[in-house]
Amino acid sequence: MSKDNSRNIPSTGREALRQRQQAAATADRRVSIAIRSAWIAGLAVAALLIGVTTWSIVGARSGNTANVVAADGLVTPASASDSGAIVIGKPEAKVTVTVFLDFMCPYCGQFERANGGALAAAINDGTAKLEVHPMAFLDDASSGSKYSTRAANAFVTVANNNPDTALAFSQLLFAQQPAENTAGLTDATLADLAAQAGAPTDVVAAFSKQAYQPWIAKITKQAFDSGITGTPTVRINGQAFTGDLYTTGPLAEAIKAAANG
Amino acid sequence: MADGVLSRLRGLRQSDRWIYTTMLVSALLSLTASFVLSVDAIILAADPRAALACNINAVISCGTVGASWQASLFGFPNAFLGLIAEPVVITIAVASLGGVRFPRWFMLSAQVVYTLGLVFAYWLFFQAYFVIGALCPWCLLITLSTTLVFTSLTHVNIRDGNLYLPDVASRLARGFVRADLDALFVALWLLGVAAMVVTKYATVLF
Repeated sequence: MSKDNSRNIPSTGREALRQRQQAAATADRRVSIAIRSAWIAGLAVAALLIGVTTWSIVGARSGNTANVVAADGLVTPASASDSGAIVIGKPEAKVTVTVFLDFMCPYCGQFERANGGALAAAINDGTAKLEVHPMAFLDDASSGSKYSTRAANAFVTVANNNPDTALAFSQLLFAQQPAENTAGLTDATLADLAAQAGAPTDVVAAFSKQAYQPWIAKITKQAFDSGITGTPTVRINGQAFTGDLYTTGPLAEAIKAAANG
Repeated sequence: MADGVLSRLRGLRQSDRWIYTTMLVSALLSLTASFVLSVDAIILAADPRAALACNINAVISCGTVGASWQASLFGFPNAFLGLIAEPVVITIAVASLGGVRFPRWFMLSAQVVYTLGLVFAYWLFFQAYFVIGALCPWCLLITLSTTLVFTSLTHVNIRDGNLYLPDVASRLARGFVRADLDALFVALWLLGVAAMVVTKYATVLF
């Protein structure tokens, strides 16, 4: 808009025209600012949504946000200790009870029946934490269904995603423990028991991925390599527990002694 | 350079060819999914425990969704509605690509009916998500394609002034569409739906 074109318009008219043009320009600018702001806000929300989605995919691929996935695809559960144990209970608990077990092993079942209640009580009142090494060396004793591995995988999945229900799930697994040299519990029964223990549907549905099988094989070998000769092997604060594993009382007393000592 | 590409893309998005092609493809997807779900409904009616191809696990299961009361809200499988409605959309899209222009009242009626369809599709999505607790891949495809058909239909109806809106609303709506804010809105909407599904079911899906 050059000055020459507007020279013939009377000064009041020229002024009015200029004001109208200015008002129109201001309105245009406002609209384009509004549009630009909408786009910026929208793209920010889009980035956020993509971020949330990606994050939960990445988290789920490894079963848990903090799982370690090695180059060879080995998925290590986030809640596992370096020694290959799933830790249940308060990390700061004074007493650490370590149990090497196989969910198919009958003596592990006996141990659980004798001491499950006392262990749960010590974990719940914060006296002790439990380190479970869910080994799978009795796969050959389940008519080809690899029950030890399937049960251990289910247990690790629950412990990793929903730690509060892991102890109850483990107790149910032993309460319903199948006899050796049977096919063991079906996947459907494992899922039912986990749901009964309070694990959410999506955690239970993740059993079928069998994500932790390689890790379970690894920690089983690691346990044998470290000198474990059978299950259950029980340690209290790292010391082998040599008392009677199969009657109620001795383990509870040992825990109490360790807590006071 | 980048500006040139962007403005060409924006021009393309406002063109009849883009809008009606999107509508056509989305309606074809919807029709396919409706057909599969209708066949599944018949199989399930004959044998409620039939193993459907998309029953993958406890969560991804057309059977669980298909056997719910919500899946036949009007006394027959919902998917039949898709078999009835989508061919009309396909016809509109093909005819429009061929140069036919429909009267305003016709396009308005299409908009009204399809809006009801969209509401129904999302009601079903929320029922499946919160109440039934299972994912059905074909149902999700219908949710997606219904959204896209609705978007393209709304786009063209706003652009062509088919909605009998008051002047101010019409001007605002046109400005909104011209600034491609409708595309932004739908993209956010679909991302939101995807985020809902993925955050709830990530452990099962991946």
